[in-house]
Amino acid sequence: MSGNGSGSSGNSTSSGDSPNRITRNDEQVPYVESTIIMTTVRVVTPFILTLGLFVMFHGASSAGGGFQGGAIAGTVVLLLAFAFGIGPVRDWLNPAVILGLIAVGVGTFVAVALGSLVLGGEFLQYTAYPVPHASKYGIELVELGIGAVVAGIITGLFFLIAAGFETGEPMEDDT
Amino acid sequence: MTFTPLEAVTLVFVLGCALTAALLRDVLAAIIASAAYSLGIAILWIVLQAPDVALTEAAVGAGVMTLLLLLTIAKTVRPENENEFERPNLRSLVVVVAFAGVLLATVPALPAIGAADSPVAGGEVTQYYLENAYEETEVSNAVTAVLAAYRGFDTLGEAVVVFTAGVAVLLVLRREVFV
Repeated sequence: MSGNGSGSSGNSTSSGDSPNRITRNDEQVPYVESTIIMTTVRVVTPFILTLGLFVMFHGASSAGGGFQGGAIAGTVVLLLAFAFGIGPVRDWLNPAVILGLIAVGVGTFVAVALGSLVLGGEFLQYTAYPVPHASKYGIELVELGIGAVVAGIITGLFFLIAAGFETGEPMEDDT
Repeated sequence: MTFTPLEAVTLVFVLGCALTAALLRDVLAAIIASAAYSLGIAILWIVLQAPDVALTEAAVGAGVMTLLLLLTIAKTVRPENENEFERPNLRSLVVVVAFAGVLLATVPALPAIGAADSPVAGGEVTQYYLENAYEETEVSNAVTAVLAAYRGFDTLGEAVVVFTAGVAVLLVLRREVFV
């Protein structure tokens, strides 16, 4: 079966030592080890991550917010996976961190919303919190939570789709 | 209806990319064309003064969607010796053209971009947001003020939808962790 993603489906059997050889990782996704891509990603990712965090943190005062910033920050992991291979990046990532990002993100939003009820306000009434500029900080906290959810889900979807469906295991309905 | 050169060029570029993506038979080429289409649309959003939407379109439409689609077709086989372009079915072509015609017929009824008397800008709710958003929410981006404060309940729902999407994919693919 020849892959489509690299655009050079005929070369997958070329022998080992050429620098642009196509290697296959455990998910059978063709991976081109390209110096140009790896170097570009190495240079560009810190700036993309900074931009993502800026859009997330500064969404209250300029264009952007949690959804956009989270998408940009999540793209960093996707770029790394495309440059250095999905398998190594998957091994490098800690599954608990991704799950934690998603859970903490949703949890933050829900906690902020319910917390104001506990303090005697309405649902999601930021001004119920006894802190100065409660509304501003509440909105920024919520945006950070959204960013964490979006970044985690984008990373998770990428690796889930890369891993795909394990056809070998028996379906539950068959047993 | 007049266009600035930037608007005209971007519009032609977007239309060209959309047609290319629809007509090309090679899936890889079609995905690249649709990524270019998303980027063009993002530029149009900026021209139309909607930077929040433009950021989302560029990051999700052009970036993440392209990567996910590439990842998906990497698992498929690329057929050889085919026509380069799809031959559109005449009946579907008529339906598509008629539908586009109906949509385009409504365009002249829209208010001019930035018109002061457009229903959206003159509405009571919009005026309330514009006049009170800064004092009440203390953030200077009115879009964020509406999203996270006035419509915070909706946004909580959106965040939960994103969360649910992840859980649904985990369930469908029968996995317990994302990586």
